[in-house]
Amino acid sequence: MNRLRRSLKHSLATRVILSTLLLSLTVVSLTGSALYSRLADGILATSLNSSLAEARYTFFNAEYQVLASQSMTIEARKQALAEFVVRTSTQGINEERREVIFVKSPGAPTTANSYEMSSNVIKNSSIPKNLRAQIKKDAKLHYAYGPAKYNEGESIDSLFVGRRIIIPTGGRYEIYIIFSLKNQTATVDLISNSLLITGVALIFLIGLITWLVVRQVVRPVREAARIANQFTQGDFTQRMKVVSTDEMATLAISYNEMALSIEEQITRLEHLSRVQQRFVSDVTHELRTPLTTLRMASEVIHVQRSSFDPLVARSSELLVAQLDRFERLLEDLLEVSRFDAEVAVLEPVDFDVIGLINRCAADFDMGGSAPTRDIQVEADEECVTINADIRRVERIMRNLLSNALDHAEGKKIVVNVVATDTEVGIGVRDYGSGLDESALTRVFDRFWREDPSRARVRGGTGLGLSIALEDARLHNGELDAWGRPHQGAHFVLTLPRKAGELINSRPIKATPKDFHQEAFYQ
Amino acid sequence: MTLIMVVDDDQDLAEMLGIVLTSSGFDVDMVSRGDEALEIFRNNPPDLVLLDVMLPGIDGIEVCRLIRKESMVPIVMLSAKGETQDVVRGLEAGADDYMQKPFRDKAELIARIRTRLRRTNSDVTGLLSIGDITIDVTAHEVRRGAALIQLTRLEFDLLVALAKDPGRVFTRDALLSEVWGYRQTTDTRLVNVHVQRLRSKVEHDADRPEIIMTVRGVGYKAGGAA
Repeated sequence: MNRLRRSLKHSLATRVILSTLLLSLTVVSLTGSALYSRLADGILATSLNSSLAEARYTFFNAEYQVLASQSMTIEARKQALAEFVVRTSTQGINEERREVIFVKSPGAPTTANSYEMSSNVIKNSSIPKNLRAQIKKDAKLHYAYGPAKYNEGESIDSLFVGRRIIIPTGGRYEIYIIFSLKNQTATVDLISNSLLITGVALIFLIGLITWLVVRQVVRPVREAARIANQFTQGDFTQRMKVVSTDEMATLAISYNEMALSIEEQITRLEHLSRVQQRFVSDVTHELRTPLTTLRMASEVIHVQRSSFDPLVARSSELLVAQLDRFERLLEDLLEVSRFDAEVAVLEPVDFDVIGLINRCAADFDMGGSAPTRDIQVEADEECVTINADIRRVERIMRNLLSNALDHAEGKKIVVNVVATDTEVGIGVRDYGSGLDESALTRVFDRFWREDPSRARVRGGTGLGLSIALEDARLHNGELDAWGRPHQGAHFVLTLPRKAGELINSRPIKATPKDFHQEAFYQ
Repeated sequence: MTLIMVVDDDQDLAEMLGIVLTSSGFDVDMVSRGDEALEIFRNNPPDLVLLDVMLPGIDGIEVCRLIRKESMVPIVMLSAKGETQDVVRGLEAGADDYMQKPFRDKAELIARIRTRLRRTNSDVTGLLSIGDITIDVTAHEVRRGAALIQLTRLEFDLLVALAKDPGRVFTRDALLSEVWGYRQTTDTRLVNVHVQRLRSKVEHDADRPEIIMTVRGVGYKAGGAA
């Protein structure tokens, strides 16, 4: 049932064939039954007229017999009537069977002599009730259809014709002549069978024809869909075959023109973007060698700084620090160019994410120059093993922690880890300057700074959070941000516990748990 | 004096490397072309080679392969391209370690060089065995039966590290710190490539290792004695 429903929903052919079948079934059964009733009525009407004429003649005969028997003894009259019955009815069982019944009218006064008789062994009870009622009402001739039942249990569809008759010494009687409709019934049955067979065959043939026709239309449509699908999946060389000059061919030609145009556009864009990416990548690489020389040179100078004039010594410090920053920027740019070129690959290993976070947090705590800050790591479990690219997860954590430290204004930072069977959520919460709504929408943008005039504390590159987001997405994960001015910010990383899988839920919501409480008490 | 051969086409960087290495007490031999490197290497065999990947003539990876053919000298590749492919190709060509430009600081460079030059762990002496392999730590020799197996110093160190603690499973990070002297890194490709190379030399069938066993999801351990 479900399969049929699906097939109806997804297959044009099934739908067309089924609706054609239903419609033709309706039409065929309507015309069939109309034809049947016309024919059946016609056949019965023809036989009715001749039967009625015959009945009138027979009734006349019967009345004549009764009249003729006026002077007879009762026995002789019975005899004469019986002979009449035998003469009039057919003997034996043949096609044109005819029976005669004499039966006392209901409600007539009882007499000593009964003239009730019937031909063969037909039962009086087979006379239709309503016919008897009509005959009782008036003296006219009446008829009705019904089954003639015999004592042997046989039953034959028949026409009953009857009227009143007065039999001397017997009182009011009714005479019936019963014409067998066996022949007519057989003809009508034959007609109805033929109609049924023709109807079924017709519907089957219509179904077959529809299927053939629909296939002609649907096959090229399916083919077109298959080609369009392959095109969508990136095979831009796919084209539709043009084999005729009909509407399908027009469709194929237009489609092919569109495909060609798209392919050209994509090739052009691909080329442009490849050139662009290679340029960024080359620039970054080319900068590395001189940067290495610079770094080593600056270090040699830096080591000697105690013997320099204070201004020169300070300059050497600035040189070293700025080279550091330059290098970080270069690394981040290179990473961004890898994401843009879509050459970033995941190298997943199994590792304990809490251990990693503790290590990152410890590195930041040791970071010396900054005033001591408190990074608390909270987790329900001691160890949460995930399968992910450890280098990228570490980079995400460092970026998030570094960002939090930049904005924490010396307040504590809480890292929360919640794991489910399939996901792990890592929330980094600070209670510093926070973010307003417009900042939230742009916080992952490259080189975006909340307040351009604000001094940079740690000298981030401005690419950290956008790289973190790309890293999270590369894992099929997500990085969400929450913030309120002066109430801090909350960045939540959600990763699947197994690389390659998707995340179905967020173990940690972006809105921090402590936010509502604070708002409530304030 | 320890001689270090620096092969780099960037004159300024080579000179700077020269200054840094000389000030740290090494002798330095500078080569700027890939196709000249092998001849100079033969004429004056160094104790360690610092080799850039991109070189005129023949590239650093090829130079590495040629040197490795005739010597077990430690080779550290210098790479401006941090891409996985380059690093792995360099390691597969026989490099012991690689450093990505720009180096974090010169101390890191010197530390790496010293680790590579260092004699094998002094805390282990005598004979060790792992599977059907015998390791003579003192003589710095590895044998299967009577047959001598040629290993680079790093491969030898890696094998000894595993063999001296037969029950223990080493994580890749643990091996990085023990054998390469890294204090902190997450680049485990280094370990993977070298384990593959070592296996190709010591295993009967590198696809079904019996000497260096992989512990899935954790790392490596020494195979049981045969």
